[in-house]
Amino acid sequence: MRITRLWVPYLATTLAIGLLTTLLLRVGPSFQLVNIALLFLLPVLFSAARWGFGPSIYAAALSVAAFDYFFVPPFFSFSVSDLRYLISFAVFLSVAILTATLALRLRMQVDQSRQREADTAALYDLGRQMTARGDLPGILEAIVTHVYGTLRFPVWIVLPADGDRMTVSAKAGQHPQDDGVDEAVCRWVYLHGDMAGHGTGQFAQTKQIYVPLKTEDVVRGVLVLGMRDHVNVRFTERLRLIEAIAGLSAVSIARIQLEKEAQMARLSAESELLRNALLDSISHELRTPLAGIIGSVTGMIENAVALTEADRNDLLFTIRDSAMRMNRLVTNLLGMVRLESGMLRLHRRVCDVSDMLGVAFRQLQDTLQHRVVDVSLQKDLPPLQVDDVLIEQVLVNVLSNAVKYSSAGGRIEIRAAERDGVALLTVADEGIGLLEGDEEKIFDKFYRAEAAQKIPGTGLGLAICRGIVEAHGGVITAERRSGQGVMIVIRMPIDGGEASNGGQDTGCRR
Amino acid sequence: MGARILVVDDELQIRRLLRVTLQAHGFTLLESATGSDGVVCVGMERPDLVILDLGLPDLDGTEVLRQIREWSQVPVIVLSVRDNEAETVAVLDSGADDYITKPFGMGELLARIRVALRHAAHAPCEPVVVVGDVAIDLARRIVEKNGQTIHLTPIEYDLLKVMAVNAGRVLTHHQLVKQVWGDQNFEAAAHYLRVYIGHLRKKVENDPTRPTLIITEPGIGYRLLDFS
Repeated sequence: MRITRLWVPYLATTLAIGLLTTLLLRVGPSFQLVNIALLFLLPVLFSAARWGFGPSIYAAALSVAAFDYFFVPPFFSFSVSDLRYLISFAVFLSVAILTATLALRLRMQVDQSRQREADTAALYDLGRQMTARGDLPGILEAIVTHVYGTLRFPVWIVLPADGDRMTVSAKAGQHPQDDGVDEAVCRWVYLHGDMAGHGTGQFAQTKQIYVPLKTEDVVRGVLVLGMRDHVNVRFTERLRLIEAIAGLSAVSIARIQLEKEAQMARLSAESELLRNALLDSISHELRTPLAGIIGSVTGMIENAVALTEADRNDLLFTIRDSAMRMNRLVTNLLGMVRLESGMLRLHRRVCDVSDMLGVAFRQLQDTLQHRVVDVSLQKDLPPLQVDDVLIEQVLVNVLSNAVKYSSAGGRIEIRAAERDGVALLTVADEGIGLLEGDEEKIFDKFYRAEAAQKIPGTGLGLAICRGIVEAHGGVITAERRSGQGVMIVIRMPIDGGEASNGGQDTGCRR
Repeated sequence: MGARILVVDDELQIRRLLRVTLQAHGFTLLESATGSDGVVCVGMERPDLVILDLGLPDLDGTEVLRQIREWSQVPVIVLSVRDNEAETVAVLDSGADDYITKPFGMGELLARIRVALRHAAHAPCEPVVVVGDVAIDLARRIVEKNGQTIHLTPIEYDLLKVMAVNAGRVLTHHQLVKQVWGDQNFEAAAHYLRVYIGHLRKKVENDPTRPTLIITEPGIGYRLLDFS
């Protein structure tokens, strides 16, 4: 194809000169020789401007020959008797060369500015595509597709992986016969931040060029371009574009990496906060009862004689209550750990709400002494498919909250009913209640409502309740009562909530 | 001289606590720190009762119990922890007499020990078992509450009778189902068990939502409280 195209200018020049000669032969006699000579400059000029050196010199030669042969006497012969026509041949030639040079330079300038415009557009397009992507793989993919689309070189992006390994993270345009990426060169470029490979000072024998993706002083990765024999463009000619693409890519990769780092920093700050809250809460909640126990016991050991019977009993009750408080804390902490670690396994069996309430009441019989407990259960309330031990823990936590945040003589109303396959259990107290907006927060780990700060607690109880209820496919919420106090609402699917988490046993625990 | 009790527990603190408190109640204490030592001790010393911790370092509780039960019917009370209901049920079903969850109150443990010793003595069951204000006349199959006869269906009576004979002891779901319904499909019978316990509570308890006689042991089974 290229061969035929090479012939075209010569053929066209020949045809043009032939045509001109024929034309001049017809009207020739009325023209003076100098006019004819000037007219023969036309195809020279044209081919010089259009096709460059070869065709224009060919046109000059052919024009002089035609002029001499047809129009200079003696006609139809090449006798160059007159030296003047040698001079005109020289003039023709210099016109041809000069015009061709000028035209070539002009055409190169046009080509260059067209290329530059295309490069700018390409870079602009790449930049737009990269800002549109928010994920690293997406950005890398956009870069390699784009680079391959623009430059037609096979392209790789190599990023450092864990350890000191360099791995190809994206690539485009590879053929099976292409060389792979040389990891050693990649590492060299990554460490030194300089270009290497074909046409550079380092590893020049390879058929690829390795460009560092550098932002300020940090090398983020390496852009590798492979060369292909039949593509007659060299890296060196496109170096500016390659460098611009590398710069743009580096900025985009840096953006994603920095975003990730910022997110990690935020996360670790959050978990740090949580850890501090946990430590504060636990150390306080463990130390207070421990102080009670150690104080009482040492008091009894050291002042055994001085204590009256009543004093001794006081101290003993302090020890018992403190120990029980620690036991509750440990139970809740273990429950939390089990929920969070995903170790919670539900041992579901068919259970009556009244039965589970009975167990909770029994566990809390001392605590509930000074409250009026009003229980009203729907007559034919169907049994639930639940892990009774865990649901009892929920009931104990909710009921002890109702006691803890209310004063002696307060009323605690417990209702249970079934509606549309969902068991609805409510526990309402007349306690200190909730601020607006706290209804959800009280289920967060370690959250203690403002008004509750004076009352000892870890902020774990309701978080565990929510974890357990949700593991059963149920919902637990808190509502502010119109008068005073809080109502905790638990909704449980009667059939066992098939959509709940895995790891459940059917039937009875064994 | 009081009964001889063997404590098998690797925790020195627990052994010391039990030694001091149980000796104060007139019992004689023997101690083993490991399961294998405990099994040997049962053979050598012939204790009247064994308190067995389920969290021993060398053998698991079920294995210790199996080795003891190969040739001895000594009553065994296991010390369990919360969230370990599955193993507790397994140990109870394979012949332990009762269990108590750590941490426990001393009064509760003493009650379990007394009930276990009484059952082990094979004292002929009283013809009339009295729990709270309910009297169960096993000879005449009559149940009275505050002197008023309560009408029970045959299954309700059988269930109450099994619990009355074992008053004070925990009975697992399996044990109750087996004794009342025989070798039926357990899944189905467990469902009946729950329903009949509900019926019984309505008839014998003052407030069925806050039972004081028929107590649920979460995840394990039921216990008829012993007031003696």
